[in-house]
Amino acid sequence: MSTLTRPDVPAPGFDHEALLYRGDADFLDGVVPFVRDGLARDEAVVVAEPRARLDLLRDALADDAAAVRFLDMAEIGANPARIIGVWASAVEEHTGSGQGLRGVGEPAWYGRRAVELEECQLHEQLLNHAFDDGPAWRLMCPYDEQHMPRTVVRGALAAHPVRSTTADRTPSDHYAYDGHAAAFAAPLVVPTEAVLRGSFGADDIPATRRTVAQYARSCGLPDDQVEVLELAASELAANSIRHGGGQGSVAMWLEPGAVVVEFTDAGLVLDPLVGRRTPRPDQDGGHGLYLVNQLCDLVQVRSSPAGTTVRISTWF
Amino acid sequence: MRAQGRLADLTTVPAADHVCWVYDDDASFDAAVRDFIEAGLARGDRLLCVGERVIDSLRGQHALLRDVESLLAEGALETLTVAQAYDATGHFCPERQLEFYGTATRRALADGYRGLRVVADVSPLADQPALLSDLLRWEHLADEYIAHGSGFSAMCAYRGELGTDFLGEAASAHPVVHAPDGLPSFRLFFDDGRLAVAGSVDTFSAALMSRALAGCPVTGPRTRLDLRRVEFLDVAACRVLALWAADLRERSVDVEIHGAPHLVRRMWQLLDLSDIAPVSFVEESA
Repeated sequence: MSTLTRPDVPAPGFDHEALLYRGDADFLDGVVPFVRDGLARDEAVVVAEPRARLDLLRDALADDAAAVRFLDMAEIGANPARIIGVWASAVEEHTGSGQGLRGVGEPAWYGRRAVELEECQLHEQLLNHAFDDGPAWRLMCPYDEQHMPRTVVRGALAAHPVRSTTADRTPSDHYAYDGHAAAFAAPLVVPTEAVLRGSFGADDIPATRRTVAQYARSCGLPDDQVEVLELAASELAANSIRHGGGQGSVAMWLEPGAVVVEFTDAGLVLDPLVGRRTPRPDQDGGHGLYLVNQLCDLVQVRSSPAGTTVRISTWF
Repeated sequence: MRAQGRLADLTTVPAADHVCWVYDDDASFDAAVRDFIEAGLARGDRLLCVGERVIDSLRGQHALLRDVESLLAEGALETLTVAQAYDATGHFCPERQLEFYGTATRRALADGYRGLRVVADVSPLADQPALLSDLLRWEHLADEYIAHGSGFSAMCAYRGELGTDFLGEAASAHPVVHAPDGLPSFRLFFDDGRLAVAGSVDTFSAALMSRALAGCPVTGPRTRLDLRRVEFLDVAACRVLALWAADLRERSVDVEIHGAPHLVRRMWQLLDLSDIAPVSFVEESA
C-alpha cells in the first residue's frame, strides 16, 4: 500500500482515511494490519473505539495489544466535539518527541442517535482542518458499512480524502475539503416541540443561568446535570454578550430522551474549530465553550452571517 | 461560622461583627446606628462613633438604653470626626489604621470592656478616588482582625449616592451587608482562619474578585480558601482563583481550597488549572 495524494488534498502531513467494513472479521482484517504496521515502524498507536470493539481488537492483537493505547470512544467521543482535543494531545505528545503516530477512531458507531451522527460528520470534516498544517500522522476511521445508514457512509466518504476496504485503498471521489464550511453554516433542525424562549442582555446573565437551571430541574434532571447546564448557560450567555452583539436569546425544549437548551446571538464565529482544541491554561479566552464541550452530553455549534447558535442536548 | 449574609436576615444584630451599611435615608441609618450601638452596650463593648454623620445620629438618639452624655462621660462611648480618625494618622494607610484600631481595642479590653465596637461613616473617604483601593484594602485588613477574635467589631456606613460599582466592591469586603440593592454578587471575608467566598462569581465579576483577593492579607506559609458558601463559580472565576494561587506561590505561600463544589474541581482538572498553580483540595461539606 502506498500513501495516496490528490491535487485537491492539502499537504500530506495528515493522512485521514475511512475504512468501510462489513462485520467483525472484516473490521479486524482492516484495522489489525494498520495497527501492526504502525508498531513495526515504532510509531505510537492510539485506538479509540467503543468498548466492545476495543475488546475485539485487544484479543486479536494478542501480545501486540500491550504496546497500543486504547481509549473508550463512548467516553472521549460522547460529545464528538471533544475528540479533536484528544487527538491533538496525542499528536503533541508523540510527534513532539519525534515519534510517529497513527490512530484508529470510530466516532460514528452503529446505534448512535441521528443527531450524534450528524455531529460526527462535522467532526470528521473538521479533523482535516485541525491537522492539515501540522506534523505528519495517520488516522483510520472505521465505518460499519453494513449497518450504518447510507447517509452516514456517504458523509464519511465526503469527509475523508482516502477510502479503504480490506481489498483496496483509493482516493475518495466524494471528498470535499471545504465541506465543513457549509455544514458549520447550515441551520440546525427547528424544533417541533413546544419551546420556551427568552432574551437576555449584559445584566441578565445570573437570571439566565438560574432560569436554565430551574428548567432543567423541572424536567427531572439530576443535580449534577442541572449544575453543568447552569454553568454552560452562564458561559454561553457571556459569550453572546462579549462576542455576539451584546445580547442573545435562549430557547429550551424537551425532545424524546433529551432536554435541549439553545443559545442564539447575532455574532459570527470565524473559526469552526472553536471550543474543540484544549486551551492553554494561561490563555485569555477560549475556555468557556471548550469546557461546555467537555461537560455536556452533546453540543452543536453553527454560525453564519445570520448569527450563531449553540445547542446543548442532555440525555435522560 | 461567622454571621454572614443580609443584615435583615440575621436573627440577632449582635451576631454581626462587620457590617456594610449602605444608606439612603436618614431614618433607617439612625435606626441602624441605634441597633448596632445597643448591641454593643448589651455585650459590654466600648463604643466608638466615627464621622460627623454618625455623631449627628448619636446626638439625635433618644431611645438608647443609656443616655449618650453619661456614656461619653464614663468613657464607654467615644467619638471622632473623620479628620480625627483618619487624617490624624497622616496619609490614609490601611496598616496604620489597623494599628490605630488595634491599640484602641486593646485599650478597651484593658479598661474592662469586652471589646471595641465601631460605627464609622466612611463616605467622606470614599469620595476621594485616590483613596479607594486603600480603603478597600483596609476593609479586608479590618475583617481579618475582626474575624481573629480580637474584640473589635465594626459597622461601616457608606452613602448610597457613592455609585453602585464602588458600593458593590465595598460591600464585597464585608460578611454582612445591608444595601438597597441587596447583597453584592459575592463577598470575601475571613472566618475560622480561612478566607471565605460566598455568593456567585462569573465572568463579569471575576475582575472584581481578583482585586478583592489581591487586597486580602495573607500571612504564613499556607492560606486556606473556603468555598463552602459558594453558590456559583464560572470558568473566569476559577481562573482568577488559580492566578491568585500562582501569585501566592511566588511568595512561597501554598493554597488549600476547602469545600470546593464538585463542578469547580472538575473545571480545575479539565482546564489544567493546576498548571497555573498547584493547589490542594480538601473535601468539606457546607
